[in-house]
Amino acid sequence: MKKFSKVAALAAFLSAGVSAGALHAQTAEVLHWWTSGSEQAALAEVRKVFEASGGEWVDTPIAGGGNARAAAVNRMLGGDPAAVFQFSIGQQLRELADQGLLANVDKIASEEHWDDKLPPLIVKAAKYDGDYIAAPINIHGENWMFYNKAALEKAGVDVPKSWDDFVAAAKKLKDAGVTPIGLGGQPWQERIMFNSVLLGVAGREFYAKLYSTLDDDLLDSDTMRKVFETFAALKPFVDEGSPGRNWNEATNMVIKGDAAFQFMGDWAKGEIIAAGIEPGTTVGCSFAPAIDTAYIMTVDAFAFSAMDGEEATPAQIKMAHVMLEPDVQIAFNKKKGSIPARLDVPADSFDICAQTAIKTLQDKKTHLVSTGLFGVPSAVSGAIDDSISNFWNSTDMSPAEGQAQFHQAISNAK
Amino acid sequence: MTDPAQGVLQGSVTQQENQQEGRRRWRPQWTARMALIPAMAITIFCFYGFIIWTFVISLTRSRLLPVYKFTGFDQYARLFANERWWTAMGNLAIHGFLFIGGCIVFGYLLAILIDRGVKAEGLYRTVFMLPLSMSFIVTGVIWQWVMNPGLGLQEAVRALGWAGFEFNWIVRPDRSIYTLAIAGIWQQVGLCMALFLAGLRNIDPNIWKAARVDGIPVWRVYLHIITPMMRAVFFTVFILMSAIVMKAFDLVVALTGGGPGFSSDLPARFIVDHILNRQELGLGAAGAFVLLCTVIAVIAPYIYFELQKERSGRGH
Repeated sequence: MKKFSKVAALAAFLSAGVSAGALHAQTAEVLHWWTSGSEQAALAEVRKVFEASGGEWVDTPIAGGGNARAAAVNRMLGGDPAAVFQFSIGQQLRELADQGLLANVDKIASEEHWDDKLPPLIVKAAKYDGDYIAAPINIHGENWMFYNKAALEKAGVDVPKSWDDFVAAAKKLKDAGVTPIGLGGQPWQERIMFNSVLLGVAGREFYAKLYSTLDDDLLDSDTMRKVFETFAALKPFVDEGSPGRNWNEATNMVIKGDAAFQFMGDWAKGEIIAAGIEPGTTVGCSFAPAIDTAYIMTVDAFAFSAMDGEEATPAQIKMAHVMLEPDVQIAFNKKKGSIPARLDVPADSFDICAQTAIKTLQDKKTHLVSTGLFGVPSAVSGAIDDSISNFWNSTDMSPAEGQAQFHQAISNAK
Repeated sequence: MTDPAQGVLQGSVTQQENQQEGRRRWRPQWTARMALIPAMAITIFCFYGFIIWTFVISLTRSRLLPVYKFTGFDQYARLFANERWWTAMGNLAIHGFLFIGGCIVFGYLLAILIDRGVKAEGLYRTVFMLPLSMSFIVTGVIWQWVMNPGLGLQEAVRALGWAGFEFNWIVRPDRSIYTLAIAGIWQQVGLCMALFLAGLRNIDPNIWKAARVDGIPVWRVYLHIITPMMRAVFFTVFILMSAIVMKAFDLVVALTGGGPGFSSDLPARFIVDHILNRQELGLGAAGAFVLLCTVIAVIAPYIYFELQKERSGRGH
């Protein structure tokens, strides 16, 4: 972080003035958007260890990711930053780093060899200019397919391994009176399903190349056409009440057997556990049908405000250390429904779905990340969401038109 | 950041200026002028200052943070190439027309019915006014349930035995925008009714007596005599409802979330989404400024026309 702009200088100056009296060496204010039951319980595990090791935790929860991110940025600009704040890693965080608003935690990261322990793609996303500007605390997977075993048995179908199988199975399920896909019709959920189709039809290399380069030829390719055709073929398998539905309501449709499948991230396990079901038993989990094995990772991460200079304060260092401590990683991620960000943590105490994920990630070829983590501006990932949602909800757009407007939307947003 | 409502506030500012012109003629005391300074300062700073700042931001390529690297009208070019923006603007026109029209027509009709001397007038007034006590978020959630095809009205009517009944507008991309007007009218019609009723009660009873003597049918009295006399009330209702349309944000968030797809998106939601969630400060600011210009272009002539009329009317 060499560029130290006027804004940052002002912010640092003000924060020094404001907090000089109040700041104890080991006090850290933590700003985050984890307000639901399981999220709070998970974060409490981190807090417990942080406090046990002599830190003082000041909790600032703000409901809603967008609100919390805006609050974190506004407080930074206002000169009263929260020492530790939850943020999505990616382009926006780099912009903050570019303005000199962030502290790096390289000291602890090199001591504890984060480079070797975290997946390389996550390392790349968490760094700016070679410095760690965020501590990734977990890995969520986005290409999961949850299914109700009883519903599949009723229709006499197996868990599909390819998208052609899936369409055939979905027809049988529909005939048997089960909604084949429980979908929450909100843009981000539609994008999660689209990405599963993209990965499943085009393969992991295509997926990685497409989102990291946004190359015109790939966007226009026949493979992409096939992806849109497959995605369009799923439209009849969603119930009428889908638009606007929340993801957890869709999960509950699968739990109750009203719907057979849901394509959702592994946070859906939280709902399944809350319904008193062990994931992998009556509600099964597997990766969405695909031609090769891959895991689309997304990460929850915490970043560190520059309190006095670009070096992290002792409290911030301690926080980064605690968050990646193996025991904390296990306790936190079991409650959160995700898997540890470190790949060297023993898997055996996790549920069967998480174990599968941890084992899969041992092979680095399976590593993929969600759309936003490829370093594309949030405008592009937003435009991707918009155009996928527009295509999915349109009644008269052909796959070719869908592909064209997808390409167009990305070009406009770039 | 420009509030989309500012365009409407523009209206009241014009009014203020007119009043000030009047005051100048009366030569007000200095103390009165001094007392106005803080209010004036806030108005100038908060309204005009931020409008200018929004415009400046819209000329930059700011994403997450304001960055003053100017790129000319690039953000406007991007905005106008954005399909979702045009859907949102089209929706604003549809929603504005239906919502304002609906509130005025139904509010006036309800007021007339009550004015004709219904029994238990107080009860009806309360019932019609009740939705107003709810926020747009609550209204949105209620109507989301009512219009949900799986558990609301459609399901209820089908359960009664009318199996072919369809009311699934909220999940149909080509109809979802109309559901906003339904929920909005339901909430605001009470206020319009109250305003119209107050206006009707102010009509000189002698006019009714004269009309009865002349044997004019009641509907014609309303249409040709009373309604023109209510001009000021119509004007007030129009301005109030326009303000609500322009800032319509919470209702669409709670009711449809802009969906299915972005078929029921509105400009205010587009702007907030791009500034807060997508970190597209420049694009959002461009949207806000275009919205402001649109509002001024649509409403200013009407306000000007009405005020001119009032002033010349007073002269006679």
